[in-house]
Amino acid sequence: MNYSIAIIGNKETILGFKALGLETFNANSSEEATATLFELKKETIEIKGDTKPKYAIIFITEELAMNIKDEDYKKLSLSSLPAIIPVPSSKGATKYGLARIGKMVEQAIGSDIMGA
Amino acid sequence: MAKLDVKPTRMELLNLKKRVKSAKRGHKLLKDKQDGLMKTFMEIIREAKSTRREVEEKLSGAFKNFMQASSMMLPEMLETALLYPSAKVELAVKTKNVMSVHIPYFDLKQEGDILNYGYLQTSGELDIALGAFQEVFPLLIKLAEIEKQAERLAAELETTRRRVNALEHRLIPDLVETVKFISMKLAEAERSTIVSVMRIKAMIEAQEELANV
Repeated sequence: MNYSIAIIGNKETILGFKALGLETFNANSSEEATATLFELKKETIEIKGDTKPKYAIIFITEELAMNIKDEDYKKLSLSSLPAIIPVPSSKGATKYGLARIGKMVEQAIGSDIMGA
Repeated sequence: MAKLDVKPTRMELLNLKKRVKSAKRGHKLLKDKQDGLMKTFMEIIREAKSTRREVEEKLSGAFKNFMQASSMMLPEMLETALLYPSAKVELAVKTKNVMSVHIPYFDLKQEGDILNYGYLQTSGELDIALGAFQEVFPLLIKLAEIEKQAERLAAELETTRRRVNALEHRLIPDLVETVKFISMKLAEAERSTIVSVMRIKAMIEAQEELANV
């Protein structure tokens, strides 16, 4: 048994991914998305006797991801799995994805030396 | 800088000297770790940026196709067509240890056919759109892998950086200053003992001279 992949987003976005075999979860607001994320993080499977999180990757649309509270996000991203990754939705890409990378650089080095 | 609140004794001095030594050693080790992490992190972050740009571009293309497809079909039809996908995705995860940070590597396994619906009520655009999704998907997994790695490394780098700074600018100077304080205090006590011994000796000699006269 291997890990699964999930995606959280609005209907238009997740439909296409459903055909690929991802597990899709509909959410229309960041609060809903946060609740879903916490629930998904709780789900576990057994791999070779170990209890592991069921989902290795949870994709979430950028519109939903950008309004998740920082403290919630910190709790969610604490462990090595799942990876919570914002992806552009059907409405197109926002600047959020690249800004997130810039934030990581800032966290690691102290200032965003890579620039925008 | 502030000296620590300790008694100026020889015992404390010895302890503090030991602590300075281990703090300096720890500082060097952490600094090396930071450099190692930084090297990996910069590589990953560069890759993450270019991958994300690529994903954004390709995914918006795929969504465009999908939008076109959905505009050609009734929404109910579209949903029924995609209701029971036969395609399955699974991930195998391996972790690699970089400077005591476990970073994940994903291995994607896809099964089944994404075009799992009757052709009669669906449009050809849908086939194309799903094909586009299929094409972007491995790239998305790659992005997830790289970004999670970057996230883990960033968190570890932050704590390491803080530790290095705390040692370099706080703990080591404090310890060094306290060591200096204690050794000065001890030297002072030593001098003061010598002086009092000399005075006592002078007093005894003066008394002996008086007695001899």
